[in-house]
Amino acid sequence: MKAKHIQHLFWRAGFGITPAALEIHSKKNRKKIVAEFFENSKKSTPLTVDTSELISTFLNMDKTDKLAKQKLAEANRQKQFELNSAWLLRLTNSKEILREKMTLFWANHFVCQDNNTIYIEQFNNTLRKHALGNLNDFVKAISKETAMIRYLNTKQNRKLKPNENFARELLELFTLGTGNYTETDIKEAASAFTGYNHNLKGAFHFNKKQHDFKSKTFLGETGNFNGDAIIDIILKQKDCATFICKKIYQNFVNDTPNSEHVNQMAELFYPKYDIGELMQFVFNSDWFYEDNNIGCLIKSPVELMIGMYNVVPFEFHDSKSPYYIQKLLNQVLLRPPNVAGWKGGKTWIDSNTILIRLKLPSVLLNNAIIALEEKGEFEDSYQKYYANVSKRKKAIKTTVDWNTFDKNFKKISISEMKDFLLVSPLNTGTRDLLHQLTMDNKQEVCVQLMSLPEYQLC
Amino acid sequence: MKRRDFLKNTGLASSLFLVPSFVKAFEKIATEQLGFKRLVIIQLSGGNDGLNTVIPFRNDIYYKKRQGIAIPKNKIISLTDDLGFHESLLPLKRLYDQGYVSIINNVGYPNPDRSHFRSTDIWHTATDSDKYATSGWLGRYLDQYGQHPYNGIEVDDSLSLALKGEINNGIATKNAALLFNTAREPYFKKILANPQDAHLSEHNLGYLYKTLIAAESSAKYIYETSKTFKSKQEYPQNPFAKQLKTTAEFINSGLDTKVFYTSLGGFDTHANQPNKQKQLLKVYAEGIESFVKDLKKNETFKDTLILTFSEFGRRVQQNAANGTDHGTANNVFIIGEHLKQKGIYNSVPNLLKLDANGDLIYEIDFRQIYATVLDNWLGVDAKAILFEKSFKKLDFI
Repeated sequence: MKAKHIQHLFWRAGFGITPAALEIHSKKNRKKIVAEFFENSKKSTPLTVDTSELISTFLNMDKTDKLAKQKLAEANRQKQFELNSAWLLRLTNSKEILREKMTLFWANHFVCQDNNTIYIEQFNNTLRKHALGNLNDFVKAISKETAMIRYLNTKQNRKLKPNENFARELLELFTLGTGNYTETDIKEAASAFTGYNHNLKGAFHFNKKQHDFKSKTFLGETGNFNGDAIIDIILKQKDCATFICKKIYQNFVNDTPNSEHVNQMAELFYPKYDIGELMQFVFNSDWFYEDNNIGCLIKSPVELMIGMYNVVPFEFHDSKSPYYIQKLLNQVLLRPPNVAGWKGGKTWIDSNTILIRLKLPSVLLNNAIIALEEKGEFEDSYQKYYANVSKRKKAIKTTVDWNTFDKNFKKISISEMKDFLLVSPLNTGTRDLLHQLTMDNKQEVCVQLMSLPEYQLC
Repeated sequence: MKRRDFLKNTGLASSLFLVPSFVKAFEKIATEQLGFKRLVIIQLSGGNDGLNTVIPFRNDIYYKKRQGIAIPKNKIISLTDDLGFHESLLPLKRLYDQGYVSIINNVGYPNPDRSHFRSTDIWHTATDSDKYATSGWLGRYLDQYGQHPYNGIEVDDSLSLALKGEINNGIATKNAALLFNTAREPYFKKILANPQDAHLSEHNLGYLYKTLIAAESSAKYIYETSKTFKSKQEYPQNPFAKQLKTTAEFINSGLDTKVFYTSLGGFDTHANQPNKQKQLLKVYAEGIESFVKDLKKNETFKDTLILTFSEFGRRVQQNAANGTDHGTANNVFIIGEHLKQKGIYNSVPNLLKLDANGDLIYEIDFRQIYATVLDNWLGVDAKAILFEKSFKKLDFI
């Protein structure tokens, strides 16, 4: 397989590839390399932080004690911060990298947020478990997740007082997309999800008394449907396959969808809804490797950071630093902006984020300084809101593992480096600039190449 | 590039950044197009307790439901027969007495959301509470009437959704020199000094280059323009007042900026509210008073409108921790020199008629305020910015 294509695949199915790894793969064919991604992601390793103390405090708490509740909220925030760090770390060292990449995608599809760390951790692992599985099982599992039941108010959805929030987003954002259902369909679907609830520990609980057992007419079918039956009917619609395939295409191939390719995907996806099979098809397609699909996507902040890490590993001195960077770049894992998720693409880039993103390599690898401050949290007290800020003025400190970089780039000449670090076509002016510069140090060249607008693309 | 060049380049060396001339050519246009009226928005972040800010002190229900946190009558600065300010708002009262303040009570929106994130989102985007938008209302204003990122400035270090449009974005800075230093990285300069591919304009790479050029150009413009004016007004010593002082310097130096955005955090008072809110409102009111004095001295107050909001108000019934939980409708302050309706704009919230959560039921949709500001103050078509929806305008300006 061509080096350029291997790099492309590794950026889309993971977070890039080192020259050393590239050399190992260069003798294999496409099918084999793609198959290895799936082989490596067969297992699903749950992401966990130690929540034992949190759980016992939570389960034994006097619910009327406001101060205890406050303390719990603070403990939850701390744990969620740990979970955020653990997730980032996972992205740097997991063998199941395709599964992790898909989990990131699904977390921005089945968007959910919960201040309760126990529930959101469980939700996150459900995403991971089904990331390459069957969409039908996946949607049903999501509908019964405690965090989702809380986030989209399914627990407030009762026979006598329906709440349409979950039903609406299920149709609009999770499965069909607007225009493929009516307001009545939403109402009928909502009544099928009445009675969905959870227990304190986070297990699904179906409350029969709140369920509306009436006959429902949904997308043209009539029957005494429950939530699962509604999901079955949704997935019978080919529009659902097309909707999901289009989104996958925009995230993994090109943000301008090609309807012919998307239709090919939907043909394959429907009606089995095997996500793994679909992704295998995408990564094996010739069109996936067409020039216009290479280096055309704007990296998410997380892809940017992890991609850099994979070239030059580094360690933050302060565990808060990665969170601060996520905030400045507008993507804090576990804290999506709303149920529609991050829009991605060009919306990652504004006057402020472009400067920070281009400066990030110098900051992380060369001890340059971003003297900018992120906003405080809504829940912060006045003192904390501003105290944190002044504290953060100190630079982000890292220990950089240049040895690993040197080893990985040992066989690469300085002039070849751009071919390994940049996958997008080069702006001609920039190409000229690179030719003019006398460059004699690989580490410096690495930082320079990463500081180009081109490096923002994958 | 030689090693020493590189070392120089990664620090903040001091050569000036040269803006490509074609970018410069645009810089003069904006003033004529946009007029000279400015809007300053302040978000009291975390959800300010409006009922303890503008207090219905003749209302028994208020005292009954808030036995631990109600403001005693003798500490209230009365405004009318039945409404008064929190004692910390004395500086604001002085502005009020000069006819510079209009208080709009009971502002909210249908089907209120009680999450900070979501409700802030709704206020920033101006959507219905069951819809999602990826652009903010001021961003969409910039889409139509802005030329440069600096036409909308958030006086902070990162940009809020409010100032993000579909095409154009504002720029965030609370320290113009710092932003300028960040932007004039010699390495960026080298990158941009080389010609750009015209064909890139449709490609994401073209967008990245274009945004970088605009950022550089805006950073330089903001720095070089704002440094011509140093405020002589005295401000309190706190970060919020500093942000306001910076805003005043931006305004008084004649920056071609139509919209300023800033926030004051710490209002999420679930426990021990009285002391916290007392301090916060003091910070707010003292800062605002200095800000207005500064603008007045420089004759820019007449062209500046200040709008203060919070993402939601708080529950009428206090909680057991002498705090309040997330609520719904709240008051909005409009501050300006030539207000049509000074003082209390509308009647106080009805504390008897609450929703199922025990929260206030809004009377004025916040988008009515936006529509009024867009139409009557900024002089643009509000409908185009508010998703083609018409909102009944109010009469405060």
